[in-house]
Amino acid sequence: MSMAAITVPTVTHAPDNAGDLTEKVSVGNLDFYYGDNRALKNINVSLYQGKVTAFIGPSGCGKSTLLRVLNRMYDLYPNQRATGHVTLDNEDILSPSQDLNLLRAKVGMVFQKPTPFPMTIFENIAFGIRLYERLSKSELEDRVRHALERAALWEEVKDKLGANGLSLSGGQQQRLCIARTVAVRPEVILFDEPCSALDPISTAKIEELIDELKDDYTIVIVTHNMQQAARVSDFTAFMYLGELVEFGETTQIFTNPNDRRTQDYITGRFG
Amino acid sequence: MVDVALQASGISIAEQIDRAKVLERLRLGDVAFRHITRAAAVTVLVILGGIIVSLVWGSLPALRTFGVSFLYEEVWNPVTEKFGAIAPIYGTVVTSLIAMLIAVPVGLFIALFLTELCPMWLRRPIGIAIELLAGIPSIIYGIWGLFVFAPFLQQYVQPFLITIFGPIPVLSTLFEGPPYGIGIFTAGLILAIMVLPFITSISRDVFEAVPPVLKEAAYGLGCTTWEVARYVVLPYARVGVIGGVMLGLGRALGETMAVTFVIGNAHRISGSLLAPGTTISATIANEFTEAVGDLYTSSLIALGLILFLITFVVLAIARLMLMRLNARVGV
Amino acid sequence: MARAPSLYASRRRRNAITMGLSFGATAFGLSWLVLILAVLLWEGFSGLSLAVFTEMTPPPGAAGGLLNPIMGSLVMTTIAVLIGTPLGILAGTYMAEYGRYDKLTSVVRFINDILLSAPSIVIGLFVYEIMVAQMGHFSGWAGAVSLAVIVVPVVVRTTEDMLTLVPDTLREAAASIGLPRSLMIQKVAYRAARAGMITGVLLAIARISGETAPLLFTALNNQFWSLDLNAPVASLPVVIFQFALSPYKDWQSLAWTGALIITMAVLALSIIARLLAAQRRSS
Repeated sequence: MSMAAITVPTVTHAPDNAGDLTEKVSVGNLDFYYGDNRALKNINVSLYQGKVTAFIGPSGCGKSTLLRVLNRMYDLYPNQRATGHVTLDNEDILSPSQDLNLLRAKVGMVFQKPTPFPMTIFENIAFGIRLYERLSKSELEDRVRHALERAALWEEVKDKLGANGLSLSGGQQQRLCIARTVAVRPEVILFDEPCSALDPISTAKIEELIDELKDDYTIVIVTHNMQQAARVSDFTAFMYLGELVEFGETTQIFTNPNDRRTQDYITGRFG
Repeated sequence: MVDVALQASGISIAEQIDRAKVLERLRLGDVAFRHITRAAAVTVLVILGGIIVSLVWGSLPALRTFGVSFLYEEVWNPVTEKFGAIAPIYGTVVTSLIAMLIAVPVGLFIALFLTELCPMWLRRPIGIAIELLAGIPSIIYGIWGLFVFAPFLQQYVQPFLITIFGPIPVLSTLFEGPPYGIGIFTAGLILAIMVLPFITSISRDVFEAVPPVLKEAAYGLGCTTWEVARYVVLPYARVGVIGGVMLGLGRALGETMAVTFVIGNAHRISGSLLAPGTTISATIANEFTEAVGDLYTSSLIALGLILFLITFVVLAIARLMLMRLNARVGV
Repeated sequence: MARAPSLYASRRRRNAITMGLSFGATAFGLSWLVLILAVLLWEGFSGLSLAVFTEMTPPPGAAGGLLNPIMGSLVMTTIAVLIGTPLGILAGTYMAEYGRYDKLTSVVRFINDILLSAPSIVIGLFVYEIMVAQMGHFSGWAGAVSLAVIVVPVVVRTTEDMLTLVPDTLREAAASIGLPRSLMIQKVAYRAARAGMITGVLLAIARISGETAPLLFTALNNQFWSLDLNAPVASLPVVIFQFALSPYKDWQSLAWTGALIITMAVLALSIIARLLAAQRRSS
């Protein structure tokens, strides 16, 4: 059976304890185009509140592309467009009337390469807060501290809040970016291969963090590291060549996948 | 006290509305900023348009009076109000040509030295020295030329040239005396020294952009340094060098101060390079504030128009060549 | 293989000659720098005294200084930078941010690069036509505007180059917390490109410090102390021009001193710009 030609409908497993799950984001019939090139084909998936969903798949399968649709990051560039619908809390975020800045404050993103702003550590966090709220100095300091605590960075930087954000190590910078995202109080956090530029110890810390954060946010993580997906996520979506091949609970996907392609990827037949 | 800020995730409806209000307020500034920057970009085009329009407008009286003959008449008489541009045009072109003939080979060789022969520790100092030379304002070259270079040429070099080329048919007219010191030749030499750092630094940048693997392949075959330069570096860098040369030419054509001091300000075309002459920019610089009468002023502006058109064409060609180079290298 | 040695020998000879030529060319080029600077320092220093900075330009045969042209140059340069820099930064911002992929930007870039190398005397004629001829008199404002027209292309070019160097991930990070485009540019992109943009402004100042031609018939010249920008204003380059071409020895000496002052200023600006650039690279 050839891998590419047949479009197999998405295999979705409704989880057993369906009653506990609230759908936060619903993607339906999503196509994505870079110019004339159709990079995502008819994606249908649900992201659940308080859970971590992982997008996995070989290079070029479209997982990052799909992630970046969720906060319409692609809108910054010409010749990139999405059709279909993506609903966040019953609002179609693909509609032209959607306020992008409002959306992005609701759906935060952490990038592959840590990108602190060229400012002090304090400013990096305060910057986003100040955008929307007028707070007193002590209120602001509280919020910054809270964000840094949630990112498990407070102890390490509390004495050098005035230092430049770029003076931190790679792992610390990434946690700073997480703190920055959390400070704006989003509801969904997207992680685009957040650990691929980090050493194993920093990676472990970030994975711990994700586990703590999921209680309060809806988390989506793109990763090329299958073991990481298995460690960290509750649901996993396997993508291949722009299609969502299989979606279900992580344990089921990794132990008993339904689709042959999923099985081959999991077992390392291709990658 | 329940601190709302410590609420775990998301924000209340009330805060969402506030947030939307803030963003709405920022939207006006956002749109305005976009339009302001766009207007600023358009202003650059407006400046160019303004230059062309004002020059044409100012030249109209002269062009209407003299017509095409303005371009080839030698006469330049403020009293009888008869003006022709051929002498300044000739001076501009010839001085720039002399400058290029000297600066291009020398500049290329210096660039070759810097990229192939020069020891590492010396590269930055020499590079800085070249940039220093490029940064010296042209009026400095002018007064140096007037007080130091021209007398030197007059005393030692020009008599030498006159005697040496005396017996040779064509060259004897080109280098016919008397040795004024100032003149077309001197102006060309000063211009050469001025343009040299520019040509050198562009050539060096282009040479440095040649992928090392190409050079290593040639060295690996046993090529000498010169052969690598001639058969690998230069062909690869050719378009960039030509673009750089044309940029240098564009600057030389428009140069005023370096030339005005030593050109001699004679509105005629002589057979000898050692004779005084004039360039377009030198004429304008020397005569504009004293020009009496509309026709005189208009003629000077017409000269400016001609200069602008010449340099515009040269610079446009240079730009296009450099764009082609960037496209090929994949910049 | 008998042929090979002589062929090789001639190749080696040719190589030696051309290498010698390139070495000689470098020595030739550098010696001009040494000659010019040496004369400049010698002649300029011999006329340098406190009086140069405290007294006005004298009539021929009297002692004096360069106070009014120095003042005039400072004032006109400052105004030119105040006018030209914001315009240049805004235009460069459009080209690097909003208009990065559109046609207008490529046209503006092309035209801007031509303006960058355009003859400055033509710029002087342009400002003469639109300001001096309209106002009916020469003025310091016209001089400042002509210098501003020279500043704009330099600042546009460096701003666009520096902003384009800012990585897109930084922009995306700013967008990802909901920052509107204009704030992202002002608060993040400008800050990241700040050192480079300042360098561009310094280079523009260095460039206009020595410009004479555009001032010749816009600001003209002024023997006396005058801060009235609505009238002719003295400037260092124009005074040097006038004094150097005169037959008076003391005027010529002042011309050299003025030339030294300009060159030192330009050198200082270039060094500061270079230090800033190195600092940026190391951060």
